[in-house]
Amino acid sequence: MDRAILLLSVMCLGVSSQPITDSQRMFSIAVSRVQHLHLLAQRFFSEFESSLQTEEQRQLNKIFLQDFCNSDYIISPIDKHETQRSSVLKLLSISYRLVESWEFPSRSLSGGSGPRTQISPKLTELKTGIMLLIKANQDVPEIFTDTSNLQLAPYGNYYQSLEADESLRRTYELLACFKKDMHKVETYLTVAKCRLSPEANCTL
Amino acid sequence: MKKAGEVVLLWLLILFIQIAAGEGYSPPGKPTNISCRSPEKETFTCWWKPGSDGGLPTTYALYYRKEGSQRVFECPDYKTAGKNSCFFSKNVTFVWVNYNITVVATNSRGRTFSDPVDIDVVYIVKPNPPEEVVVNVTEDKDWPFLQVSWKPPKMADTRSGWITLIYEVRLKLENKNKWEELSAGQRKTLQIYSLRSGGTYDVQVRCKPDHGFWSEWSPSSRVKVPEYLPQERSMWILIVVFAAFILVIFIWMIYMNFHSVKRYLLPPVPGPKIKGIDKQLLKSGKSEDIFSSLVVSDFPPTTSNYEDFLVEYLEVYVPEQRELIMDEGKDLQDDSFKTENSTCDNDSGRGSCDSHTLLTDKGGGDKEDGQQSDPEGSQAEVDTKSQEEALEEELLACSHENVQSPNISNEEKVKSWPLFSPLPQYSLSPVNRPNPPKTGKQHCLSDSLFTPNSLSSYFTQPGPSTTKGFRSNYWECSFDHKQSHPLHPQSAAHEHLQAQNDLNTPHVDYMGVPLDVHVLNVRPSEYVEVQRVSDEDGVLLHPVSPSQESSRTVSHQTEDYSRVRMVNNDNGLLLLQRDAIEEEKSMCPYQEDVVSRASITPTLQNSATGINTALPILDESAASGYVDTATMFGLPTY
Repeated sequence: MDRAILLLSVMCLGVSSQPITDSQRMFSIAVSRVQHLHLLAQRFFSEFESSLQTEEQRQLNKIFLQDFCNSDYIISPIDKHETQRSSVLKLLSISYRLVESWEFPSRSLSGGSGPRTQISPKLTELKTGIMLLIKANQDVPEIFTDTSNLQLAPYGNYYQSLEADESLRRTYELLACFKKDMHKVETYLTVAKCRLSPEANCTL
Repeated sequence: MKKAGEVVLLWLLILFIQIAAGEGYSPPGKPTNISCRSPEKETFTCWWKPGSDGGLPTTYALYYRKEGSQRVFECPDYKTAGKNSCFFSKNVTFVWVNYNITVVATNSRGRTFSDPVDIDVVYIVKPNPPEEVVVNVTEDKDWPFLQVSWKPPKMADTRSGWITLIYEVRLKLENKNKWEELSAGQRKTLQIYSLRSGGTYDVQVRCKPDHGFWSEWSPSSRVKVPEYLPQERSMWILIVVFAAFILVIFIWMIYMNFHSVKRYLLPPVPGPKIKGIDKQLLKSGKSEDIFSSLVVSDFPPTTSNYEDFLVEYLEVYVPEQRELIMDEGKDLQDDSFKTENSTCDNDSGRGSCDSHTLLTDKGGGDKEDGQQSDPEGSQAEVDTKSQEEALEEELLACSHENVQSPNISNEEKVKSWPLFSPLPQYSLSPVNRPNPPKTGKQHCLSDSLFTPNSLSSYFTQPGPSTTKGFRSNYWECSFDHKQSHPLHPQSAAHEHLQAQNDLNTPHVDYMGVPLDVHVLNVRPSEYVEVQRVSDEDGVLLHPVSPSQESSRTVSHQTEDYSRVRMVNNDNGLLLLQRDAIEEEKSMCPYQEDVVSRASITPTLQNSATGINTALPILDESAASGYVDTATMFGLPTY
């Protein structure tokens, strides 16, 4: 009898630990994908900047502050404290929304060389992965409602900014925003992963 | 006056203002080089470089503005980070937010704004160097390696994943200058292999966030690697000994086979081989012996007494067909004849065996002259070297000089035969076989052109049709004895002559063949053979190839017929007197058909042997016994 209980408990532990390992693996995959996307964004941005004249660069810097990224409506923690305070699910949902918000505009990323067209499918894949992670970690139904609320206006500011006439400025903004958002997602996923990892030290 | 005063005041005012302005007070210079750094992505610090202060105390203020907002904030902390710096604490630091920072310099004169700078904290992270770098040498004695371990900087929060660092290690030998850099990724330990035995290393570590700047290098950690490579002297000694042993064996092998090796490497050069020259003689140094085979012993004539060369008579070799004539001749000149029948010897001239000496010895001038000058009947045996090349080069001229006068011009004091070309019409041309019977005198003679005193030389080329079989060319000389009396007596002697002496038209009858090489074996001396005497006037001469001569060098001392000793390159036939027999070399008469021939071997120019045989033909009749054969003989060719 005692042995049966012992066996059962062991099996339960084994079963319960599995999603964690699966989750870890998926997190690792997601993090690596986001890292790759971030590197791509960095490369595009640097290529764009190098193609500009110095004078234009200064003006663009000034202009950039006055405009907004299309993902500004998504409220996301902007410092470490706030990030650590957020739950994993929240981080995942925010990441999901960020990725989703770029799914469509990434097609219009132009200029420079390289596989621009590969960004959109990668974003789609990443979004799918994050969704899986959400579902895997979703054990509290209330969070789900929060995310649903946040999905009301995915492309909120995008259409507003479409009216900008200067294509050069627009490209600059797009690239800069894209790079920043990718870094955000990367950071959130990394923090979430580390939080879920069994070890105290998250060495990644 | 007033105006002047006002002007002065005005000027003074201007001056004062200028002076006041020139004191150096000016608005401050523009601050430059604003740079910001964040060590852990939670705070950041900005530094600037102040411009000129304009001579007045200047204060600096930093204002910043966050993206999306027009609100301007001032730097909260000017002190923490030192002078000319601004420290942003955690409360005011926001990530993924663009800051627009401007530094303003202010003094009593004015304020100056710097250029604004946009920063995003995420991209200005420069962490502190890794800490607690520990380098260990493993305990493995055979192949030790270094184990480097470190800790991330304290400020960087890698534990929560807020910041991700990658590390890099570098090491160098103690006294070298080149660092070797190794990447460690996100790990915090590293193993280093391939160390120098007994070396001392310095190790340093640094780190970098995934998007940021490299940190400074950590302080060096020094470590010494123990000696792990065995320093075995004994092994080197063994190797050296072994190599020396092999070297000794190699040298010994070469020494044993030195000669074969030497021959292989340096093959011997073949020495010269020249026919007729004996190398041993060369080494012994007896030059005379060496050249003995090359030298005609009789040349140059050692005796300068040309008297010896005086030919008293000319031996003519007459073929058997003419025996009758010969007999007649005998009767006529028996005293002058020597029966040659029994005096055939090996080295006799061709006519020596069977021919009778037609010519008397010196006594008879006319007779002798006739005899001697009997070109037709007389067989001048001239030892000549006849060679083809010599023949071609120089023709034996049948000299026919007419030397009737005893004072033939020769300076040589030789008797020359008064040989005349019988027929002036005959030019020097080779006699053709078919032709001769009629013509008779085609012999080489040039005839009438000759003056008795002149030794004109004609060079007649041997006919091109000289066959190979005949090594010698045939000259057919017809001497025209019309002129000379001496020929008459010799007409009787024509018996020896092949040509019909009596005939006006010399019948040249060639026994073409006989000159096969073997028969004409003559010694180095040149031979002219009177092959036939055609008519009274013509003598058929044919040279004898020298190759045969050499083998049959015989001196006939016993012969008392005169022979043509040699033929001068220019022109003469040297006919030897009886006395001069010893110097004479006669060629053996042709054994075969040739035997009966009287032949005068033409002399040729020096053969390859280099013997220049000068054959002045001696004319007994005249003072000069010189027979100019060259002019007389043409070269018939077969």
